[in-house]
Amino acid sequence: MDLKFTEEDQDFRARARLWLKDNIPRNRRPAHGHESAQFDRDWQRKLYENGWAGVNWPKAYGGLGLSEVQQVIWYEECARAGAPNYINTTYVALMHAGPTIIACGTDEQKKAHLEKILSGENLWCQGFSEPNAGSDLASLKTTGVVDGDYLVVNGAKTWTTDGQHADVQELLIRTTPGSERHRGLTWVICDMKTPGITVRPIKTMLGDEHVNTTFYDDVKIPLSNVVGELGSGWKTAMSTLAFERGTGFIGDQLALYERVNQAIALAGRTRLEDGKLAIEDSNIAGRLAMLKAETMAIRAMTFTQISEIQQSGKPGPKGSIMKLMVTGASKSLSHLVAEILGWEFMEFNGDRNDHPWTYEYLWSWVFTIAGGTSEIQREIIADQLLELPRAR
Amino acid sequence: MFLVPDSDEQEISNAAAAFVGNEFPLERLHESPRDPNKLPAFSELGWLGLSAPEEAGGIGLSIVEEMLFFIQLGRVAGPVNVLSQILAVATARDNPDICGPLIAGEQDVALLVASHANGELRLIGDASATFALSVTPSSSTLYRFDGSSCRAVPCLDSSVGMYLVDESAITPLVSRNGSDVWIQSQIDVSAMLVGLAERALDMIVEYAKERQTFGRPIGAYQAVRHPCSDMAVRIEAARCQLFYAATAIKEGHQDAAMHTDAARLLSDRAAKANTDTNIQLHGGIGVTDEHSAHLLMKRANLLGRLFGSGKQSMSSLLTLADNAEV
Repeated sequence: MDLKFTEEDQDFRARARLWLKDNIPRNRRPAHGHESAQFDRDWQRKLYENGWAGVNWPKAYGGLGLSEVQQVIWYEECARAGAPNYINTTYVALMHAGPTIIACGTDEQKKAHLEKILSGENLWCQGFSEPNAGSDLASLKTTGVVDGDYLVVNGAKTWTTDGQHADVQELLIRTTPGSERHRGLTWVICDMKTPGITVRPIKTMLGDEHVNTTFYDDVKIPLSNVVGELGSGWKTAMSTLAFERGTGFIGDQLALYERVNQAIALAGRTRLEDGKLAIEDSNIAGRLAMLKAETMAIRAMTFTQISEIQQSGKPGPKGSIMKLMVTGASKSLSHLVAEILGWEFMEFNGDRNDHPWTYEYLWSWVFTIAGGTSEIQREIIADQLLELPRAR
Repeated sequence: MFLVPDSDEQEISNAAAAFVGNEFPLERLHESPRDPNKLPAFSELGWLGLSAPEEAGGIGLSIVEEMLFFIQLGRVAGPVNVLSQILAVATARDNPDICGPLIAGEQDVALLVASHANGELRLIGDASATFALSVTPSSSTLYRFDGSSCRAVPCLDSSVGMYLVDESAITPLVSRNGSDVWIQSQIDVSAMLVGLAERALDMIVEYAKERQTFGRPIGAYQAVRHPCSDMAVRIEAARCQLFYAATAIKEGHQDAAMHTDAARLLSDRAAKANTDTNIQLHGGIGVTDEHSAHLLMKRANLLGRLFGSGKQSMSSLLTLADNAEV
């Protein structure tokens, strides 16, 4: 084992640090609406134009062709510089659609989409879950019927994050009539401007409207937009989710470490109702120390995971361990800070910038539910890692 | 940057697993609760001098290999005197006359763990030990030990001896200043705790595949599956952080102590929670004496109390608010 960064790694880190210092946006990201999406597009375009987009993407597709370790270094430097979080409206494009098209797409699809993803020109959204198919994704019912060179899509998708801003959607539909479960599904690229699509926002407990339900009424999608084979969409979808559960959240994992340090500093200057500094409360101190240890471990787990992929050549099932660990720590942190802040925590106007800790507290459930709930992650670990008898 | 054991390191780990698995199967503790002194057998294969420098008569490998060895020793709730022996070797590494026989396993070492309320010292190990060792964050000291007046007290973990002695029983022999033996002790004990946590998971997973209730194996119920998955998460976090910390020590990183503190906290938690869950998910059989689940829980309680019981790690993690190297 070694913790040594190569000379190229160190050089890359130094250049990234320098560039980020001079180039991170001076203005705050707007909390809501199209202004927030435009902010994300602008930042992604800036990264692209200055040669920082797609660190670990192959050069042939406009990326930098660098290693996973350098990808981690990039996110570490972004977290350190306070650069915009990439878990924003560009996330699905960069972390789902891009890697899936690279792995399973045709040359035409790569040509049509990858550059637009890296440059922030196209934002993507996800169309997997349905009003009656969430954790049990394979029970989805939205249909696509082949009609000449087109699929005609009818049905509804939900939890479409940023669907109101997206240009393109990764859509998972049932294309074999009468098929059941994982069979007969297709992963298809859907232009969000196609007639027949209605996006209806869902107001969440955060007070904002970042998720939507999307309705499809005879939506015509060219067959050439199918990624992978017609009818083998489950396989394509699993590769999408493997990217996400593998290294998709690395940047956020590393940012969590910074947030724990902020919480320690906060506890060192915030007085509880009894007049004691929060850090002097043994219960709070113990939980903060454990969170610090956990977020350090998350970084170590990231490097172990990358090393294992390097050794075996493919992502293992440990992504679910990582997701449970990260979302659990994130939730514990925001609940702990909620206690430290006392009444101040209750002051909330819905703006992430004005009341970040209250916002993160509300957001913490998004992470333990989205992308496969914590309960589903435990099922995956039990099946794939522990090989326990199947529950279903 | 590579954070899984490479092929050489894996070989050491496999060799350790084969040796301790053969000599110290966990079930042995049902037959005879106290392990006989087998230090010479450890010595013969080089385990006692694994990380000691060659000029001190050791093998000259690093804390990384030592950590991998202790994970395996932890998995079988192996003899605790191996831990005190290896830390004594580190304490006396500049004194060949003392260090040599220790590496050879000819003389053994008891561990001074804490002062008792009425001025007596508490000791883990054998009353007949030649030496006693104390390890603190700022130094470690090896004492000549005279156990003739020590008083045995019963220990929850009946596989180890516990004694109270007064201070006249120990005479300082050699001291090593600095935190290096303390940090080594944290890695070693954390590794044994990770081993315990792993063994607890293996035990319940095996049982969950066999044991049937309501016509299905209990491993098919989410009430059993999910706590098992949480055990795997705790192990993975502790183990990866332990790998990181040991490697940081080996490479001389400034933040190695801080990474070690984090590893200690996570290992403590993994061992305590996993050995607890293992008993609970076994149901009634899990609380019987004939079952091995309690052996792991009792050993986790013993190891968790050693070398500052993790409390020190907690406070230093908070005071060193942010000194991680990047």
